[in-house]
Amino acid sequence: MQSKYKVSLLRLNLLLAALLPALMVPTARDFSEGMLLGLAAAWLAISAGLVEFSHRRPPLVPWQLLPSLLLSALLWTSAEHYPFWLWGWAALVMLPQPAWMAALNVLLATLSWAWVARLLPVEQALAAGLVLALLLALGLARARRLIPLHGQARGRVSLEPGLRLWPGASLARDLARERGRGRREGIHSELLLVRTRRRHLWRVARQLCDMTRRFEHCYRLDGRTLAALLVCRDAAQAASRRATLLQRLGEVERVRAVPLTSTHSLTEEFRALEQQATTRSATQGATPDADT
Amino acid sequence: MPIPDTPRLLAGLYALGAVLLLGQALWHYLVGDYTQILLPALLAPLLLTAALMRLGQQETARLSAYLVLICGYLIVATTLPGEGHLALLWLGLPAVLTFLLLPLGPATLLNLTLAPIWLLLADGGLSLPLSLAYLTLVFAAGLAPWGIRHQRALLMATDPRDEECTALRSAPLLERLESEVERAGLLDQRLAVVVMHLPQLEVADEQFGAPARLALLDAFCRTVAEYSRDHDLLGRIGGADFWLVLPDTTESGALLVRQRIEEAAAGAMLNDTGGLEVRGATCAHSPGQTIMALKHRLDATTRHLADG
Repeated sequence: MQSKYKVSLLRLNLLLAALLPALMVPTARDFSEGMLLGLAAAWLAISAGLVEFSHRRPPLVPWQLLPSLLLSALLWTSAEHYPFWLWGWAALVMLPQPAWMAALNVLLATLSWAWVARLLPVEQALAAGLVLALLLALGLARARRLIPLHGQARGRVSLEPGLRLWPGASLARDLARERGRGRREGIHSELLLVRTRRRHLWRVARQLCDMTRRFEHCYRLDGRTLAALLVCRDAAQAASRRATLLQRLGEVERVRAVPLTSTHSLTEEFRALEQQATTRSATQGATPDADT
Repeated sequence: MPIPDTPRLLAGLYALGAVLLLGQALWHYLVGDYTQILLPALLAPLLLTAALMRLGQQETARLSAYLVLICGYLIVATTLPGEGHLALLWLGLPAVLTFLLLPLGPATLLNLTLAPIWLLLADGGLSLPLSLAYLTLVFAAGLAPWGIRHQRALLMATDPRDEECTALRSAPLLERLESEVERAGLLDQRLAVVVMHLPQLEVADEQFGAPARLALLDAFCRTVAEYSRDHDLLGRIGGADFWLVLPDTTESGALLVRQRIEEAAAGAMLNDTGGLEVRGATCAHSPGQTIMALKHRLDATTRHLADG
């Protein structure tokens, strides 16, 4: 599946869809219609630039809301000429979206229908309304099949295909599991917190994933903080590994390493990292280790 | 958890469409427009048939979508040429309906082929702005299924869990197995794998449908979770074949786990199949054995179990 799916095809489609409203701009009947068409084209073209095959940048809600607003505005200004854009609502509710946004889309669809309906004789308006309701229901039924995938999967998917980088939400569970396992097997495992600059995050994340062993998982806690669970035979080996790791990791501001046996809670360790001096130093638990 | 298909919901919607067509026929009758009664009156039973077909097997269910499409196309095709400007409203309906009912590929093909026909049928459809506006709608509406496909492919590539149960998918399972072998090698530990096969799964699916299959899988995964440790890895390597990776475990330990799971599963109470039959075998990883050799042994054991 992964190899069969091509992001470039979606990008091409977005660009094609952006080209059409752009071509319509010269034929626009008034300034506002032209503006709206241009905005629609811009939205599609920018989306084509932003689309990528990873969870690195989840789409922002205002950005997702724009197509709905644009469609309502287009229907508002040009319902007389292009009433058939009304059916576009059925496609919009099909997209994966939170429940409140689907409700908003249905509301906007109803309003646009009312706006278009004033041009039609009563029986046609009624028929159009009923058909639109059916189509919206069909679209929502299709979107509904994706909802479970979205709600629960978000906390457990890796952030990029093929990378051992998980969302911060799964760290708490893995931490408890690894702590129990370390105690049972008598090995030394530790939590490594790494703070970097926002713009270096993905590069450092990739380095971290490359340098850790395959059974050691990495996590993205927020836009600047990464975590890794390191597994070693004993504390001495852990210290030497940490030293080589830190030497090779570029662009790191703060580092904190805590053996899993003495971690209190993730939030506490996180706060301790915040309060740590801004020098690039490795701190083991409460006692500062040698600077690297 | 799994995505329940929604045949009942869709069948209900198709039936509502049939009611709508009957209403249209009735309206034509009331206003004395007798020539127009025939088409909706004929298509309404067709839509009802589609609703019933939707509830049937997968093949007939797919056909039902085409039946609904034909109904929609015919109705719109007869409405479009009339009444000048107002009829334009119906122009976009067939394209969007196609995207709603069919998978992306056939829907795009059908829409592109039929676009000139719809434009010809529509009054003044050949004017440039109108055709552009129509194509905009078709391409923009086509982006919705593309978005869905994108999300789905991304989840397939990044979600380690199987779609139908809490076990891992096969690719992440193999990755984790390799990493656990590496870990065992580094820490001088043992590693064992329990191979399990669920012979009832296929039968349950054929006889009782998807809900029975999902219930069976769910019961199995819960049983395994109950009798294994937190860090043991259960993965679905094939349709009814599962591997349970047990780090730091000897062969006899794995045997014990296997027996416990088989016993507990047999005592499970499921609506359709009663107890849950689990066929199991164990494979221990001996130190120094390569991952390829281990995989070969596991594959052979899996095949052996599946063949009975």
